[in-house]
Amino acid sequence: MAAPVRATLLGVRAGGWRRCDRLWGGGLGSRCLALQAAPSGSRSPWRLLGALCLQRPPLISKPLTPLQEEMATLLQQIETEKSLYSDHELRALDEAQRLAKKKTDLFDDEQDEKDIMHVQDLEDMWEQTFQQFKLGARVTEADEKNDQTSLHRKLDTNLVLLVREKLGDHDVWLLPQVEWQPGETLRGTAERTLATLSENNMKAKFLGNAPCGYYKFKFPQAMRTESNLGAKVFFFKALLLTGDFSQAGKKSQHVWVSKEELGDYLQPRYLAQVRKFLLDSNGLSCLW
Amino acid sequence: CQAGLELTAILLLPPRLPGTCRAQTRHTHQRASLLSFWELIPMRAEPLRKKKKVDPKKDQAAKDRLKKRIRKLEKASQELIPIEDFITPLRLLDKSRQRSQVELSLEESERRALLLKKWSLYKQQEHEMERDTIRTMVEAQQEALQELKLESPELYTEAIKRDYSLFPFEKEGPYYTPPIYNYQPPEGRYNDITKVYTQVELKR
Repeated sequence: MAAPVRATLLGVRAGGWRRCDRLWGGGLGSRCLALQAAPSGSRSPWRLLGALCLQRPPLISKPLTPLQEEMATLLQQIETEKSLYSDHELRALDEAQRLAKKKTDLFDDEQDEKDIMHVQDLEDMWEQTFQQFKLGARVTEADEKNDQTSLHRKLDTNLVLLVREKLGDHDVWLLPQVEWQPGETLRGTAERTLATLSENNMKAKFLGNAPCGYYKFKFPQAMRTESNLGAKVFFFKALLLTGDFSQAGKKSQHVWVSKEELGDYLQPRYLAQVRKFLLDSNGLSCLW
Repeated sequence: CQAGLELTAILLLPPRLPGTCRAQTRHTHQRASLLSFWELIPMRAEPLRKKKKVDPKKDQAAKDRLKKRIRKLEKASQELIPIEDFITPLRLLDKSRQRSQVELSLEESERRALLLKKWSLYKQQEHEMERDTIRTMVEAQQEALQELKLESPELYTEAIKRDYSLFPFEKEGPYYTPPIYNYQPPEGRYNDITKVYTQVELKR
């Protein structure tokens, strides 16, 4: 990076301030040392790429650890001990008393008992209706098949979208990225990535204007030129609200993957950078 | 019209009643035309009211009295909207509702104390983990912003701008079971019986 900086210094002193003023509206003065995308003159050797870290937030809560289960039961016990009797419990107590009285006393019951619903019957009825209702399955079939392209897998963790692309000679799995075009902000680049990927099927909520992480790499020796040293990828986080990939476009393969499985797909250095801004699934259950 | 003309002829020509004649001659300059008969006799006039000056005063007095009453009412009834959660319903203050005190055995109380200590340790670890995760995330973001600043200051200024469309952000949290695919909820109507209180505002 030192050589290009020196070049810009010379260029600024020799060429003049006009170049600086043209694009960024002046007032930058010493900032002209920074590398701008001016058509003529100094140019940043790094290409800018905007990448999208699209996450599907979890749909269900994580199962409780044994300690958490114990604590939950203890809290429930303490709560019942400190509470008052509810209407249902009072009714149960009254009935128990009445039954006891009926057994001890020998005369017939004054009221007709056939019409009154016993507490036990009510509870049985409620239990039955609960059993009859079918809840959604926490472990879906996608889990069983381990189908990593479907969104219904691992409903209790964040899933991140990975895409396979050709870089140079080999296929590489990475977060979807697209080259930055002058005239748009980096967040706009990320939004464009989403639009091109999903063909406007997916709706996502972007979390702020600032990137959450970056990764810079240099091109292999063959590809390097004066102005093309490498590329910097800036990641932007987004939460998937609705939508999914249309099944038609299967040419660029995609995968929805949780944080632990990222290691299977990504390159080590890339992975190290990406892991910094992705949440660990074991710690915080409902955040992103 | 012909009848009118005849009548005016009869009235004007013979001076039968001196008063009317004088009245007629007195007011002839006010009439639109000599033959306009209906303007002579004021047909639509009411009998004159006697109390003209005292009436508005009475009306004003009545209005003032009303205003005073309204003001008194407003001062008195400054009822605040009751918070229903803070008012215990009377049926819950019954003695028969109270449970008998539970005697905990020694093992039970020991177990509880031990569990609470383990729980506090677990929560402390969880908190530290959260803190570290957030710190790494923030550091990663700061590094990214530094790199962006080195690249192009304009993009940096764009990146650090506040995003006004982010909040308010609503999202329904994770449930215990996922939503059922193609669920048909049972049809029916409901009556909303929540009490709605309105507070009268003073016009001061």
